Amino acid sequence: MILQTALLIGLVLFSVLAIAFRDLLKSAIALAVSSLLLGIIFFGMDAPYAGVFEISVVAGLITVLFILTIALTKSGDEVRESRLVNWVFPLVFVAFLVIDALVMRGLLGKVPALASGAESGTFGDVLWRGRTFDLVGQIAVILAGVFAVLALFRKRDKHD
Amino acid sequence: MTNTWYLYLFFAAALVFAGLLGLLGKRNLIKLFIAIEVIGKGISLLLLSTGFAKANILTAQALVITYIVIEVSLVATALALIINVYRTTKSLDIRGLTKLKG
Repeated sequence: MILQTALLIGLVLFSVLAIAFRDLLKSAIALAVSSLLLGIIFFGMDAPYAGVFEISVVAGLITVLFILTIALTKSGDEVRESRLVNWVFPLVFVAFLVIDALVMRGLLGKVPALASGAESGTFGDVLWRGRTFDLVGQIAVILAGVFAVLALFRKRDKHD
Repeated sequence: MTNTWYLYLFFAAALVFAGLLGLLGKRNLIKLFIAIEVIGKGISLLLLSTGFAKANILTAQALVITYIVIEVSLVATALALIINVYRTTKSLDIRGLTKLKG
């Protein structure tokens, strides 16, 4: 449990750093590290498939996409951020953490556990039989993404 | 088990709030999208921790994997949009998009 808590603290820390860093490349790398930590947390929760997806797809593929975009928009990190936000962000976030901790402490044991039947079978049974339509939706979403990217990067006609 | 669930809820809420603060305060388009990613991390942590606490980890895993697939598609489309915005406005500043108002 101590390891899991340390990983959760690291996850929040790197996620906040990903937002707070000025340099976009550092932000992307901090986001990748936080994905890696989330993947390890998933492994700790007996969810190896979700962990593998998180590490390979989110920490790997999405980071590559981010770095590619940063490289294609080189002068983009010249955007001037508000100075006020840089001061207010940590203060409001710390205040929220305190409120969050108090609320969670207040709720401890008060919210009854939802009734849930015990699961049977393997992950494959649940994914392929129980959630079949999720897979159809996933295929549709991937196709939608592919067509959207193709549409956004299509060559301009001479008439345009 | 329930106490562990509250611990995960605490961190998931922290991630979502950090992402919301980033969305409200930042001006760089890529930064804004990183903030959306952070919110997404909070949501997937919430989904899986609830499944873990309720002994429904297999269904929660299936949901998280579905979410990750949607996230990849979303990221690819959004980053393509950002590149196109950059080509048009020569800047990643969100305020530059106000010029597109009709």
